[in-house]
Amino acid sequence: MSYRLPRLRFSHQWISILVTVVSALVCILLLPTRIPGMELLGIGPNWLLIWVVIWCVKRDHTLVQGAIAGLVLGMIQDGMTNPEPTHTLSLVLVGVLTVSLRKLKLFPEELMEKDLITISLLVFGMAILSETVMALQFQLYGDHDINDIWLYHQQVALTSGIISSLWTSAIAFPLTRLG
Amino acid sequence: MIRNSLRRWWDWRLSIFLMGIALGAGWFVRHTQGGPIMQIYQLIASPFEVNALAQEQLLSARTEELQARVQEVEMKNQKLQELLGFVSSQKKKGIVTPIIGRSADRWWNQVTLGRGSKDGILAGFVVMAPGGLVGRVTSVSPNTSRVLLVSDPTSRVGAGVTRSANMGFVKGKSKKNAVVEFFDNSPNIKVGDVVTTSSFSQLFPSGLPVGRIVSVDLNKGPAPEAILEFFAPINSLEWVVVYPHKVLEDKLPNLPKSDKTMNGNDKKDEEKKGETSVPK
Repeated sequence: MSYRLPRLRFSHQWISILVTVVSALVCILLLPTRIPGMELLGIGPNWLLIWVVIWCVKRDHTLVQGAIAGLVLGMIQDGMTNPEPTHTLSLVLVGVLTVSLRKLKLFPEELMEKDLITISLLVFGMAILSETVMALQFQLYGDHDINDIWLYHQQVALTSGIISSLWTSAIAFPLTRLG
Repeated sequence: MIRNSLRRWWDWRLSIFLMGIALGAGWFVRHTQGGPIMQIYQLIASPFEVNALAQEQLLSARTEELQARVQEVEMKNQKLQELLGFVSSQKKKGIVTPIIGRSADRWWNQVTLGRGSKDGILAGFVVMAPGGLVGRVTSVSPNTSRVLLVSDPTSRVGAGVTRSANMGFVKGKSKKNAVVEFFDNSPNIKVGDVVTTSSFSQLFPSGLPVGRIVSVDLNKGPAPEAILEFFAPINSLEWVVVYPHKVLEDKLPNLPKSDKTMNGNDKKDEEKKGETSVPK
């Protein structure tokens, strides 16, 4: 028979909301930086992607919650660069895929929630996917040279995948131990 | 009992409420082009800002001598233009700004500057660095501004080769190079030619140096192309100078000798088609 203090649980929920908002803000503010050591060929880690993947694997979220996380961060990234083509598509896809991977139980849940290497590998795959979606959008946008887009995509997808998965642990370690 | 039922009532309604707030915040940031985010970023980045004014003053004495000579030549040029009846534009004072951030994604070539509308910067202003043209201001907040670099694939700059006065426009290709597409089918260009903004450019004032031609491809269809290397070292810039520029809505391009190009289209239409306006 366990007696739960309702007030304690309530404050625990508010702390987790605070951690979510503050970590998202930190990731957003890291985006325009290019600190030496944190970039590869002038390309920095995709902090928003890292945040979406970590948030989606942490707890049992629904597909809709994963999609909304991707949508909100995609809109914020749109505001910081350019709304067309939109970043929401790639981040929503990443959020939905990560949540469904967790629900399909392809990996043991503890591994997905706490193991940094699994999360880093997940970020690597999602980064390549997200850059491919952006390249497809640029191709449909109509203005650019198609060969240039896909030539650049090869470089960007791999570089972004590598540097994002390397820096995932920096965000994942505090968040998986805290939130 | 009441506490339990109250908690259960709040559980899913709270999550919907929070999702609504998150969506609203995301939409607000997207709508204001990231203004509040960039303000917060500038606040945090301000202790790390490079002292742009001091760096500019550290330019060597030789450069100052060259600048003085250029100023003298420009003044003489202005007097001659006045004699010929052209309206002379005043030498505008530039705002020296530090670069505090780069692009927030991997596809757009942009930089964030540490000065905004409070210092008089407005959208449409021209951004230059030691070397040449760097880009154009696309959005401003009170303390920051966002610049679309000339190396961005969506950037189009009406330009011409100084030596032979062949016109074309410069399309960004990579971080160091751009593609120049010419209007004439057989332009008089060669490797080493200097490319500057032309007078028919609506988004930039004329005469700004952009880069140097490094390779020419005259057989490329539909128009001859050349690869240009930018003068300004865009990747390693730490500060830039922002000059005021008003985009005139109905500025007429200089009419060339004939009104039609080899394709049979009007030259004015072809030149106007070349430039795209700022992406919203």
